[in-house]
Amino acid sequence: MSDNFVAPGQQRYLRACMVCSIVMTQARFREEGCPNCEEFLHLQGSPDQIESCTSQVFEGLITLANPAKSWVAKWQRLDGYVRGVYATKVSGQLPDDVRTTIEEEYRIQYIPRDGSATEAD
Amino acid sequence: MASNMNYGGDSESEDDNFNPAPAEASDDENDNSSVVQPKSEPEQHSSPGRHHDDDDDEEEDGARPGQSAGKRPVAYQDDDGDGDEEDEEEHDEDAENDDDEEEEEEEEDEDDDDVQGHRRKRRKERRANPFLDIEATVDDEDEVEDEEKEDDEIEGFITHADEIGESGQLHDDRRHRELDRRREMEASMDAEKQAEILRERYGKRAPARGYGDSVIVPKRLLLPSVEDPSIWAVRCKEGKEREVVFNLMRRVEERMGTSNEVPIISVFERGGPESTMKGYIYVEAMRMNDVLMALDGVLNVYPRTKIILIEIKEMPELLRVTKTPTLEPGAWVRLRRPFKHAGDLAQVLDVTENGLEARVKFIPRLDYGTRDDMSSLTADGKRKRPGVPGPRPPQRLFSEVEARKKNPRALQGNPLNNSWTYNGDEFENGFQVKDIKIQQLEVKDVNPTLEEVTKFASGSEDGTENLDLKALAATLKDSNMNITYEPGDVIEVYEGEQRGVIGKATNVQGDIVTLQVTEGILKGQTIEVPNKGLRKRFKLGDHVKVIGGSRFRDEVGMVVKIVEDRVTLLTDQTNTEITVFSKDLREADDIGGQGALGQYALLDLVQLDATTVGCIVKVDRETLGVLDQNGDVKQVLPSQIANKLPKRKTAVAADRNGAEIRLDDVVREYGGQQRQGKIIHIHRSFIFLHTHTTNENAGVFVTRASQVNTIAAKGGRITNASTGPDLASMNPALKRNPAAGGGNIAPPKSFGPDRSINQTVTVKRGMYKGLLGIVKDATDSHCRVELHTKNKIITVPKEHLAFRDKITGRPIDINSRGGRGGFSGSGGRGGFGGSGGDFGGRTPMGAGGGERTPAWGSKNTARTPAWSRGGDGGSSRTPAWGADGSRTSNPYEGSRTSYGGATSYGGATSYGGATSYGGGSRTPAWSSGAKTPAPEGFGHGSKTPAYGGDSWGSKTPAYGVSAPTPGASGNDSWGYTPGASGSAYDAPTPGAHLGAPTPGAALNAPTPGAYSAPTPGALSAPTPGAWQGGWGADTAPTPAAGAPTPAASGGYYSAPTPGAYGGAAETPGASGPRYADDD
Repeated sequence: MSDNFVAPGQQRYLRACMVCSIVMTQARFREEGCPNCEEFLHLQGSPDQIESCTSQVFEGLITLANPAKSWVAKWQRLDGYVRGVYATKVSGQLPDDVRTTIEEEYRIQYIPRDGSATEAD
Repeated sequence: MASNMNYGGDSESEDDNFNPAPAEASDDENDNSSVVQPKSEPEQHSSPGRHHDDDDDEEEDGARPGQSAGKRPVAYQDDDGDGDEEDEEEHDEDAENDDDEEEEEEEEDEDDDDVQGHRRKRRKERRANPFLDIEATVDDEDEVEDEEKEDDEIEGFITHADEIGESGQLHDDRRHRELDRRREMEASMDAEKQAEILRERYGKRAPARGYGDSVIVPKRLLLPSVEDPSIWAVRCKEGKEREVVFNLMRRVEERMGTSNEVPIISVFERGGPESTMKGYIYVEAMRMNDVLMALDGVLNVYPRTKIILIEIKEMPELLRVTKTPTLEPGAWVRLRRPFKHAGDLAQVLDVTENGLEARVKFIPRLDYGTRDDMSSLTADGKRKRPGVPGPRPPQRLFSEVEARKKNPRALQGNPLNNSWTYNGDEFENGFQVKDIKIQQLEVKDVNPTLEEVTKFASGSEDGTENLDLKALAATLKDSNMNITYEPGDVIEVYEGEQRGVIGKATNVQGDIVTLQVTEGILKGQTIEVPNKGLRKRFKLGDHVKVIGGSRFRDEVGMVVKIVEDRVTLLTDQTNTEITVFSKDLREADDIGGQGALGQYALLDLVQLDATTVGCIVKVDRETLGVLDQNGDVKQVLPSQIANKLPKRKTAVAADRNGAEIRLDDVVREYGGQQRQGKIIHIHRSFIFLHTHTTNENAGVFVTRASQVNTIAAKGGRITNASTGPDLASMNPALKRNPAAGGGNIAPPKSFGPDRSINQTVTVKRGMYKGLLGIVKDATDSHCRVELHTKNKIITVPKEHLAFRDKITGRPIDINSRGGRGGFSGSGGRGGFGGSGGDFGGRTPMGAGGGERTPAWGSKNTARTPAWSRGGDGGSSRTPAWGADGSRTSNPYEGSRTSYGGATSYGGATSYGGATSYGGGSRTPAWSSGAKTPAPEGFGHGSKTPAYGGDSWGSKTPAYGVSAPTPGASGNDSWGYTPGASGSAYDAPTPGAHLGAPTPGAALNAPTPGAYSAPTPGALSAPTPGAWQGGWGADTAPTPAAGAPTPAASGGYYSAPTPGAYGGAAETPGASGPRYADDD
């Protein structure tokens, strides 16, 4: 039932999506892709893509039980995403080509989750 | 004029476009328009634009499906017709017909253009959508051709203008007002219409564009309000934050859709080892009760202790994210992993695109497989765990030569660019290069010291220094927030507005330093400056002390050079120049570095723990730098030192060639860095050397005795390697294998003091032939013999001498031990078998003073080599067994100790002895040990080698053996062996004395059999069976051996050690057969 639970022993395999910051195990990224960003990241079944678009360096976990109501979600720009565990900070940068693709083809502005966007505000 | 042309052109073109009417009409129109238009010149300036607008509208209208294509032309026709006839009429018609029709409006525009005052028109223009203007200009351009066509007609326009201008004035006002009203209304409609058009035109694109852009709302608009849920901080166990968050996720999901859904909205944590927010989780919920409900029964959370409601304005702070500084190539970092390199400085070469992995280079810590063989088992039979803390090899640049020597198979690479792979690690230019995840790098507060960084620089390919000190200084400044200034420091401002100001600090508060300016125009003033742009200032000749940041800490010296903020000083203690950053210096008010701390002085040898000794290479105020036997430099407190090891002047070791080395000898490393130095300490197999060629570690380095060659021995001792025995062949370990022992190994030549000294000899040849004498001195080839007959000392070649027993006068072989003629593989000078044999037997007994034999004397049997073999730790004491040989100059090292090694074997035998204790002590093995120590025990009959002196050596026969002097002291040593003592000394059979040291005997020692022979005897268990049980194949020969000998030695033996031995008589003989076996 609890999809998003990760046992402590498995937590070393956790990775965070660099776009939406959702935190899942590498295996799950591979099997299901990113629930929020699959449309343009295409992580499913692609370890390489997972390697480059998700990061195992992240901090500040957030259990998001109710993304619609949550201020935390709003502040973290997670509203509209699925329920799950997210990270406040994801280190690492999306590869330039992926970034260009999502910004031009999907017209989504990429907000880096590594803290570099905060200073801009 | 241009506008005029436009106007005419426009109307014409419209007509052309929309009205296929006859050509005459257009002519008329031209006339007509010329009548209306020219009311005033300025009016026309605005009109064209307006006109075009209208045109545009028309076109657009025409394009719309709703408008009938047919209608428009009709309307125009009307217009045209009207225009042709009269203005007034036209207006009337407009008023009547236009109501419904949009087209009419356009016509009216035209009319307006024609008739109205330009003020009004302007207003209209303003009302009109500016958007249209743009479109109009576009049209304008389109119609350039038209203008050109109508160039001719322009003249006509103007001439007519005045004449007809007045005609419609009366009607105009009223009508136009009405028209205006309508137009106003229509204009608003128009805007809507335009909007619709625009929507139609661009509408399709809009949604796509909006998707992404609309998502980003500035953060300030997202700030929490009172409507948002509240956030509570709840204590939780530190380090368990993540776990709790996941547990809550599970709880939320499990209870989803059930009656007791978890009412919280979100949970987050900001834990982490360095975080200030660890130990809390933050729960977002509407009510506090929800939090309590949600957390009830969750592990590691303590909602009942204290729940803090976070204020709304603080909420964003909870989620603040600061960017980790990105690594740039060239940056300095410290390694956390691999474990061996924890804390080592590394330089970033490259960073992966996503910034999660960096390629770094650092100085390898390789021992080329000598120490950490992961596949080997530890003593307790378990596989060594990797990563277990142990001595780590010192940092040294990769050496291809050594790698090739130690493990050539693991080495691959390209000598051209000096890049290698060794054991799976990559090396470039001597540095190890590795991809490391950034989690495993320490990026902040790296604080590289100048020394560390210099190592990187000096390793450059061509050997030139490529170190950019400025860049380094910049890095340091960034990272070093711990520079402290104290009142009294002379400080220079080097950055900012007050650059160049020099003053003395009077007060320091936090980051602000108050300066009393001492130089320049500001002199006397007091200013406050942030400590960021400051550096300490020193003058040449200042006496300063290094206060931190480098390995020179606590050095005191005089400033000799200042470059920017790098200060070079000459240290008081070592008179060396060192360069440090000025921030690391302080004015010194004391003279530091007396070179001693408490009882420990520089270069002292100290015991750090049971297995570690080290040489003090640095004396600080409170700590000592100790170079331990593994080559690591440790900072220790005096209290961490177990004791100081006194310098043993008599300590000896054997170098690689087996030559004896002592303190103050000059030796050079074989292989490796080929360092050369003077021996300052000898500790077991390690020697500490001092050199003047480097200042590192005060010029002290450590190496193994077996890895050096003698360069110059103090006092000119013979260092000719050829005089040393071939130790490899004497390696007891090798000899253990019976299969390998096919042939007898020739006994080594004598070594150490010449054995012939003090021997009684007869001259066999030459003018003194037949005379008896005593050897007083000897060289390799000659002896100086003091003749009994005359008081004269003659020099005789050794070949011309026959050695004789002092008492019996029987010929003996000074180089053999158990003199049985048969066995004298040594080809001795006559097989004085009898005495030799006796001797063999006797020796042990001589040693027999039970206490002094290791087996006996020691309380725990661990000291007998055999025993120690059993225990893991203890094995180190027996040379033969000592795995690393570190404590005993061990056979592997090729020193004479190999003898000892042999001895130790005997020791093994003594194991048997151990079963019956008393016996153990007399095992020949032991006795052989006994002979060796001679140098130490010289003349002291009471001493057995075991007691040779220093704590470790004493118990291992090996050690005693290592004493190189057996030959010389042979007699004496015998003399003092207690068992034999009284009589032995006075009337020793030469064979006995000499026999003892003979290598032949020693050689046999390694084969347990030989020795074991006596043992069983001692045990009064002559039955080989007993032995075999213990020793297996090796011992096999023993019993047999035992058989032949007993009688001969029997009596002899029993004599010295009767009580102890009882039936031991049989034993000694064992050695005899044993030898035969060897043969």
